[in-house]
Amino acid sequence: MAILLDDEAPIHGDVLETILSHVPLIYLVPASYVSKSWSRAITTSLQCFNKAKPWLIIHTQCTRSPYDISVRAYDPRSHVWIEISQPSIKYVSALRSSHSNLLYMLSPSKLSFSFDPMNITWHHVDAPRVWRTDPIVSHVGGSIIIAGGTCDFEDDPLAVEVYNTETRTWEMCESMPAILKDSAASTWLSIATTRDKLIVTEKFTGVTYCFDPKLKKWAGPYELRPDPRIFHSVIGFSNNRLILIGMIGDAENVTRLKIWKVDTESFECEELGEMPSELIKKLKSETFGVSSISVCLAGDYAYMSKSSELAEEIVGCEFINGGGVRWWSMKNEAAGDGNRSERVVFTCSVIGLGDLQRAMSLGNRKFALKL
Amino acid sequence: MSSTKLLTLKTSDGEEFKLDEAVAVKSQAIKNMVEDDCVSNAIPLPNVDSKTMTKVIEYWKKHSEEGVSKDQLNDFDKGFLEVHHSVLYDLLLAANYLNDKELVDVICQEVADRIKGKTPEEIRKEFDIKNDFTPEEEEKIRQENAWAFD
Repeated sequence: MAILLDDEAPIHGDVLETILSHVPLIYLVPASYVSKSWSRAITTSLQCFNKAKPWLIIHTQCTRSPYDISVRAYDPRSHVWIEISQPSIKYVSALRSSHSNLLYMLSPSKLSFSFDPMNITWHHVDAPRVWRTDPIVSHVGGSIIIAGGTCDFEDDPLAVEVYNTETRTWEMCESMPAILKDSAASTWLSIATTRDKLIVTEKFTGVTYCFDPKLKKWAGPYELRPDPRIFHSVIGFSNNRLILIGMIGDAENVTRLKIWKVDTESFECEELGEMPSELIKKLKSETFGVSSISVCLAGDYAYMSKSSELAEEIVGCEFINGGGVRWWSMKNEAAGDGNRSERVVFTCSVIGLGDLQRAMSLGNRKFALKL
Repeated sequence: MSSTKLLTLKTSDGEEFKLDEAVAVKSQAIKNMVEDDCVSNAIPLPNVDSKTMTKVIEYWKKHSEEGVSKDQLNDFDKGFLEVHHSVLYDLLLAANYLNDKELVDVICQEVADRIKGKTPEEIRKEFDIKNDFTPEEEEKIRQENAWAFD
């Protein structure tokens, strides 16, 4: 077969770029090594025809030794589910996430955490001084902040510690505001992290405080209650947007779910959109009504479901530039087989071609479409 | 049975194709011309040759047939698309020019499927692409991505 030069190659130019927009991101990695013109075509295709979009990543940890973690991801750019096989992570304790792509495991002696887009790098540090069962854990600008969640016999239920990555030590800080005394645990608090602040909102009241890990001080309170009928609030931050998700009604009967954009200085709220009622149904579970929903955000996407272990369907939401929100739902292809000996954690990451190229170049990870 | 209008399409190599208007309007470009009422004579298609037009018409006719099941259509599409990539490229250019989004998507998907799961070398063989990385660049890629070349 004759080898043709670039200009004469059968498939090139915008035809190639259009074709590449139909190829899932994981397959664009080998395609980017085919030739320089293909590499250029992929870059253009990703910029103009079909951009990379944030992945929903579902981590399932077996609750029995050796506590293996299996990972599946959904790529909304191509509407495909991906099986990711990766090296085992040394077990420390139950896997958790509190925002976007932070994963952590906390035991009395150790804290292991990872915050890169594909959770490739894990950091292992000593546990904080105060033992906590259900704290809020967050990663803000290179610091790890742990607050609340202490046991009954600890002195200060509002204790806050910040891990300094340079001195590799935990530092005690100003405790959480006293008003949060009875709700100082991740069950009752929703958190969001900006580049330099931790924002904490009490799910039932909307009372909100900010923590600055550099000054080690709390600011607030702010009231996140744009609608007095909200009974449950969840916050999140991505792409320079602080988001408030508010449910209206009560746990047994959620009548509406709205989304607001929140100004990070004034905490004023601007309504962005409302979830269609047929999608609200997908967040309800028979036993718990809508008492806890799992939300994760990255880029311009948010994924919501009833608490991660039970979610058969996932509701997605895309923030459209210029205002407005696009809603959709999809089946959770990573749902367990009803096998309750699993812990399920949802994270969300902006994954670009470069991230995948780096992950694949490690040679110890495989990505395959789940068929 | 109402009489359907017949359109005449003239390809770049001078061949004429007569086609039911109802079928031809799968092409948004032709549909626009019909609506603008400029189809009294043969519609010129200078960017499509007769070989490609024959195939496009074959696709349009099958997808306009009555009583064809989804399975039968899938089988037809599978066979229709089992051609050399240069034929697919010509079809894609034609479908794009004729503005038939459905056909463009179907062909793009077929070519995308031929890229999925292949190593860079396998992709080059499939599409007759010259590797224009310099030996140094190639070596760097190999070192960083040994997995890709297995």
